[in-house]
Amino acid sequence: MKTPRHVRLLFTLLPLSLAAAQAQKTTLVVSGFGIAQDKIEKNIAKPFEAVCGCNVVFEVGNNADRLAKLTARKANPNVDVVLLADYFAKQASNQGLFEKLDTAQLSNYGKLYDFARDPLKDGTAVAFTVYSVSIVYRTDKITKPITSWKDLWRPELAGKVALPNITTTQGPPTVWLVNRAYGGKDSDASAAFGQLGKLKVLTYYNQSSQVTSLFAQDEIWAAPVGRFAWGGLLNTKKPLAWARLSDGQAGLVNVASVVKGSKNVALAHKFIDFMLSTPVQTAQALDLVDSPVNKQVKLPAAVANQLTVGVSQVAGLRFMDTSYVLTNRDNWIQRWNREVVK
Amino acid sequence: MPGRTVTPWLLVTPALLFLTLVFLYPVVKLLLNSFSVGDTFGLGNYTSFFGDRFNLEVLWRTLRVALVVTLVSAVVCYPAAYGIQSVPPRYRGLVTALIIVPLMTSPVARTYAWLVLLGQTGIVNTALLRSGLVQEPVRILYTEWAVYIGMAQLFIPLMLLTLISAMENLPRDVVPAARSLGATSLQSFTRVILPLTREGLVVGGTLVFTGCITAYVTPALLGGARVQLLATLLYQKAGVTVDYAAASVISVVMLALTLTVAGVLRGRGGRT
Repeated sequence: MKTPRHVRLLFTLLPLSLAAAQAQKTTLVVSGFGIAQDKIEKNIAKPFEAVCGCNVVFEVGNNADRLAKLTARKANPNVDVVLLADYFAKQASNQGLFEKLDTAQLSNYGKLYDFARDPLKDGTAVAFTVYSVSIVYRTDKITKPITSWKDLWRPELAGKVALPNITTTQGPPTVWLVNRAYGGKDSDASAAFGQLGKLKVLTYYNQSSQVTSLFAQDEIWAAPVGRFAWGGLLNTKKPLAWARLSDGQAGLVNVASVVKGSKNVALAHKFIDFMLSTPVQTAQALDLVDSPVNKQVKLPAAVANQLTVGVSQVAGLRFMDTSYVLTNRDNWIQRWNREVVK
Repeated sequence: MPGRTVTPWLLVTPALLFLTLVFLYPVVKLLLNSFSVGDTFGLGNYTSFFGDRFNLEVLWRTLRVALVVTLVSAVVCYPAAYGIQSVPPRYRGLVTALIIVPLMTSPVARTYAWLVLLGQTGIVNTALLRSGLVQEPVRILYTEWAVYIGMAQLFIPLMLLTLISAMENLPRDVVPAARSLGATSLQSFTRVILPLTREGLVVGGTLVFTGCITAYVTPALLGGARVQLLATLLYQKAGVTVDYAAASVISVVMLALTLTVAGVLRGRGGRT
């Protein structure tokens, strides 16, 4: 199964490799999350090295650490491509840490969903993966399906709900969509905080692995969760469902950018283009690392069911503007600490 | 004899360089950071940190947890250490080994065990329900109680080991001597045993207290976001919200707390 895909991949990118072979062997430094790094080496780094004739070195860490490093080395950057959650990328972009992307150099740009083409709305990034945030719930304990964010407030769920902490990436979209569900305007999240303060919550989780164990140990019956955790949740063998919410699931993206002052701007574009190509996006999805943003990726149903895939799922997603999050996040964290986590 | 004076310096230089580079320099830098507001120096970071009621609650909770756990472990361990001291020598090794085993398990594993034990369907709640003491599961996890339990289990072995070695240094015949001179058993405890083992209590107390102030895994997993301590708040500021000003203030506060407590306890320990 695997060999033909890689062979096909090599042939698709043969012209690129010939061009690169003439260049000197350079090193491309990519700053990434370090999650499923073995799969990333296998699906992205190694195949890219084969076609570009260059070395790919990953520098890994969480969003905050890597953003801090980028800022500190602004005058003399040592990273070429950086992969970040959209909100952190926007902070970097606002500090002038990114080159403008030349989409003409991205041959796969046309294959991307609209939301992936300019997620920061300033031309400095493309999304390379997407995930939805919705409510996961126990179908044996909650017989009437959950169809709205407001269903978390049902009396039978009291004390059986976990919420993502505001400092997780799933936190702000939860506040945003709850606010909208309760008729709040985006400019004022008081509706959300008023309601969230009244919600009987068991605990606030910081990592998706915590939600998995909370469900596994029958501690909770419902929680807003990022889709990337769905595979792990299914492994608990509990009767769980992914809610289809009438008031919207949130969509979140991770983005790729070229670092300002990189000495390998053209190569960095090639790397990003490679990440967006149909074979790489397919390989990453088959290994359950990242959901594709390339519309041409086709996946078996068993795999698709564990990811955020397909026009029908993606069309319903609501994407929060990164500038909006950036403006409100500090205030939301303060309000969350005072009004919600008491 | 210049060689005599130079050699000791040569011997300590590597250690001194190492400490300066990886300890002194970062601590000084941290201190400077906590006082820098933009390009100038000032108390701005401190006033905004202490001006927020939420932060003060976290600070107070951290102190409370550290104090309670230190006192509880002292009260629990003192008689235990005295008892272990009178265990026949051939069993003493076994008893000591039993104390050390938990120390050899990672705090993460120990804390995860508590997650299972203290949960709604865990052993504790099942036992309480079966015994009829409660009608529905008691909420222990994600409360301050869970943090007390986890921290106490984490640090009791440290206190116990310290006290055992203090008791071992207690001369065997001091108690009979005191009794033969007419001291009651209470008097021989307060006037003889306690002063002679005070050093052990001080060392154990310092270890447990500073351990509680700096522990991260246990409060993060057992307390959750609702039971924030300084260590978890520090992680939130530095690792998630990239608020280095607040993070450096928290670090300085934690450092000051541990130094103060170590200093105070040492002062008390030295006084006889």
